[in-house]
Amino acid sequence: MANHTPLSVPSEEHDKAVILCPAGRVDGTNVAILQGAVRERLDAGQTTVVFDLVDLNYISSAGLRVFLMAARDLQRHGGKALFCGLSEQIMQVFEITGFDKILSVHGTRDEALGAI
Amino acid sequence: MSARILVVDDEEDLELLVRQRFRRRIRKGEFEFVFAHNGKEALAQLEEYSDIRLVLSDINMPVMDGLTLLSQLKSDNSDVCAVIVSAYGDMANIRTAMNRGAFDFVTKPIDFNDLQLTIDKTLRHIEMLQEALASRDRLTALKQELVVASQVQTAVLPAALPVTEQFDVHASMTPAREIGGDFYDFFSVDDDHMGLVIADVSDKGIPAALFTMVSRALLKAAARNHASPAHCLHEVNELVSQENDACMFVTLFYAVLDLRDGRLVYSNGGHNPPRLVRAGEVQEVPATGDIALGVALDHDFHDAELPLHIGDTLFLYTDGITEACNAAEEEYGEQRLDDLLHELCDVGAADTVEAVVNAVEEFAGGVAQFDDMTCMALRLNSTRSG
Repeated sequence: MANHTPLSVPSEEHDKAVILCPAGRVDGTNVAILQGAVRERLDAGQTTVVFDLVDLNYISSAGLRVFLMAARDLQRHGGKALFCGLSEQIMQVFEITGFDKILSVHGTRDEALGAI
Repeated sequence: MSARILVVDDEEDLELLVRQRFRRRIRKGEFEFVFAHNGKEALAQLEEYSDIRLVLSDINMPVMDGLTLLSQLKSDNSDVCAVIVSAYGDMANIRTAMNRGAFDFVTKPIDFNDLQLTIDKTLRHIEMLQEALASRDRLTALKQELVVASQVQTAVLPAALPVTEQFDVHASMTPAREIGGDFYDFFSVDDDHMGLVIADVSDKGIPAALFTMVSRALLKAAARNHASPAHCLHEVNELVSQENDACMFVTLFYAVLDLRDGRLVYSNGGHNPPRLVRAGEVQEVPATGDIALGVALDHDFHDAELPLHIGDTLFLYTDGITEACNAAEEEYGEQRLDDLLHELCDVGAADTVEAVVNAVEEFAGGVAQFDDMTCMALRLNSTRSG
């Protein structure tokens, strides 16, 4: 068992939001990386974050927890977290756990940006 | 070996009742009881008898209440296990007690059979804890604590699942290398109904193990107050969602089986859909459109109904089964699981569980897994109505 499964979190600036694109797998071994990326943005005063999940292959419940924490944190600071680009598999995880009802989920990145 | 047990309750009659109900165990020298009528007296008894390892305590008492006693135990007598004895429906206090480290609870009016089972289970747990602590060496201290925590996790699972003529039920949990938060439970709700639970707590480690224990206890208490699984999930969700800054959550499937006619009523709080194996066909148990517990307050959960037929098997699992990986990083997956269940339509619950666990282990080929693997099967053999 590897210590960390591969995960990178490249970001893009947009006039209305910052876009984070976690790529790879998010599970219990590497959630800290995702958490760190979100925290960095919050500390820099960014309150609106779009998570574009097109490059996300897998997410465990520990990963979902980080999304939930990010959404709560941003909301507390008057901001918002939006999610888009979910593959069928990731969408299934969102639907089973009911996270599609709790989080702001959109189809494409443009749709997410349009919803801000 | 005699176990000295401290009973703390302001009802004077309880002493007589306990001595009477447990007279055989006392005569055999298995139990020795000492009594106190409030938290303060309890602490004095603990001072007096240093070999007390188990405390049964009421919550509402004069001078010092049970919750304060628990906090004191935690700081001064950390090797003492507490079981709370509290009134029906006293959920808020039970939750606080579990959060302060109570090991289990029983409700009043006391069912002495249940109390005896709980005492025996807790004493077994204490024994394990002591063995683990005794063998702990300084270098592996942290590792040992994790082992103890995972033993706690295993200790809360029902020790023996019942086999009756009407149904058989079997379950298995293979913990991952780290302590996870899977659990299952099976209990009698009343004479005509059995409750069935499978759940998976997000995250790992000791906080997840504690969250697991709290969720399990709250559900068991809610099950006695509400016939509807949806109402139970609603109650547990309200309690675990409050002040949940860690954003921990639990996916939980809870079903109640009516033993008279095989009718199953269930509510699914964000858990993987169980499978119904009926006459060679494998189908998903339809979702109830609900969410994981701990995520959002004020969610209205829904019940759904599934009449079980004689010969049907209900198979419940956590995603550690379908997401088990082999060396090539392929997942076991739902398709393999469904194909296997299809072949298992004529076997009993124990064989079903064993076959799935073996198949997943064979598939993984010895690769250490990230997640607990838990599954449970229930097979209906007959109903009371025929």
